[in-house]
Amino acid sequence: MAQLEISSIDKFYGATQALFDVSLTVRKGEFVTLLGPSGSGKTTLLKILAGFESVSAGRITLNGRDVTALAPERRNFGLVFQGYALFPHMTVFDNVAYPLRVRRIPRDEIAQRVAEMLDLVQLSRFAQRKPAALSGGQQQRVALARALVFRPDLLLLDEPMSALDKKLRGDLQEQLRDIHRSLGTTFINVTHDQEEAMHMSDTIAIMNHGRIEQAGSAFALYRHPGSRFVAEFVGKSNFLGGRADHSGNQPVFVTGSARIPLAGPGLPPDGTILMIRPEDVVLNPPDAQTNLVRLPAKVLSSTYSGDRALYTLAAEGLPPLLAYGHAREGLHDNGGAVTVGLSGDGAVLLSEGV
Amino acid sequence: MSPSRIVFAVSVGFGFAFLILPLAIVLPLAFNDSTFLNYPMSGVSLRWFDVVLNQPPWLFAMANSFKVAVGAMALSVVTGGLAAMGVMASGRVAALVLSALFVSPLVVPSVVLGVAMFFIFARFGLSGGHLSLILAHSVLGAPLVFLSAMTSLKGLNPELDRAGASMGASRLFRFRTIILPLTAPGFLIGAMFAFITSFDEVVVALFLSSPQSLTLPIALFSGLRDQLEPTLVVVALMLSMISALFLLVVARLQKATEQKA
Repeated sequence: MAQLEISSIDKFYGATQALFDVSLTVRKGEFVTLLGPSGSGKTTLLKILAGFESVSAGRITLNGRDVTALAPERRNFGLVFQGYALFPHMTVFDNVAYPLRVRRIPRDEIAQRVAEMLDLVQLSRFAQRKPAALSGGQQQRVALARALVFRPDLLLLDEPMSALDKKLRGDLQEQLRDIHRSLGTTFINVTHDQEEAMHMSDTIAIMNHGRIEQAGSAFALYRHPGSRFVAEFVGKSNFLGGRADHSGNQPVFVTGSARIPLAGPGLPPDGTILMIRPEDVVLNPPDAQTNLVRLPAKVLSSTYSGDRALYTLAAEGLPPLLAYGHAREGLHDNGGAVTVGLSGDGAVLLSEGV
Repeated sequence: MSPSRIVFAVSVGFGFAFLILPLAIVLPLAFNDSTFLNYPMSGVSLRWFDVVLNQPPWLFAMANSFKVAVGAMALSVVTGGLAAMGVMASGRVAALVLSALFVSPLVVPSVVLGVAMFFIFARFGLSGGHLSLILAHSVLGAPLVFLSAMTSLKGLNPELDRAGASMGASRLFRFRTIILPLTAPGFLIGAMFAFITSFDEVVVALFLSSPQSLTLPIALFSGLRDQLEPTLVVVALMLSMISALFLLVVARLQKATEQKA
């Protein structure tokens, strides 16, 4: 059942258009992330959902009820701000109790619900502290507790992790996912961090220049990107320019002097760019492996991360190639000669300008 | 000595010479035993304090001034504070025009204001009463509250208000629980300045006060003209003490709110 329905939203600021015909359906209990670079319109869309910005065209319905023009205070949406926006003159307890006091809930019920919520975000010990006496990660959790304590229909998160360091971000992502699972509230998260998006979300909507380029699961976006922008934004990739040739009995993609055999039933018949993920590039393929083209290449550089190494390779007539290799027995030296195997297996054919 | 320390020493020196020194020379004369305002003092006595506290018109004028200042302060806080909040909520152009309008009483010469008020209040039959002085002084005090409240409101993170809204709080509830507590120092400081402005305002009061609503500065002014006595210095000393007290309170307030936040 569709809970939130965003239909054909346009947003103009004067003569500049910030959103173009944005539509998205969010199921009840889904964790959706709006992912995009800065200026892609993701924050504008979030502000429209929160009610802080009006729409120029289009509508938003929640369980069939039109909320497009509803004031923010009448929406019952939780919101976690980028800067947390905790009230500095109130204790953690009073911050979290605020939305309940607004709703005139009896004192003892407030005490109980705030305690439960602080327990959930593991901050019970800090209930009587002022926000200034907390670390960034703790403040972030207070903001989360405050946005969830009144059981909102929807939780909106505006780049909630952007001010935290990487280690803390990982912990909080896990916590956030657990909280989402245990409460079943619909979450809409905005971020420019593709890793964060992939780790937490059921659905990712990739935004670019005010449009949703593609929406789908992390797997779908990674394995079947619909455009070069999506492929580039989600994970690492190699882009080879050329053309598909269907004249022989084996369709191939011709790039430079290489003819890469195309397999895979999902490939569109045409396209001018072949996208290959670095893990699909085979380093020194065993002789038994067929259905790929072998090219001599030279190692330009490598980045070792323990579990594997990412190589940048130079092959005749091709742009520098990214390839993952396992690194159990050591690394290939820079300048060393390797054989690189390219195939259409897992690759995606894209058209320029889509 | 580094250049910055020299600049510091020179500016403090000038401030001291122009602001503190004259007071330091004049104020001890409040304790002079003689009837004249001159050195050397003939002896130390509190007889002029006795005169101020027991003889007309001083206590009467002080009470009048106090009533007028409190009234003007209250009215200034309401009008200036509301103006500041209204301007914060308006668009950029409207905010610019409105700000200029609300601050304009500060740049209009007080003689012009005094004359204008005199005619208007005469027409409405208000002249001579406390109310006319309160209204006139609140015109002078409101811009001070406006400016100081604006500074506080501008320093407030706008996301706090939005956060309140996202949690379902109405505009009034947000104002009472978020905006007012966090900007109260700005409103209070504005209120203090409005009080002091009214308390020692001369020009407008010259036009508007009557024997029934004689204010302290007017009493001082006529005292200066009629009989130059140490009572004047006593009153001046008391006025300075009140101002100093207010500044102390303001400083305390600022410190307290800084610690709270």
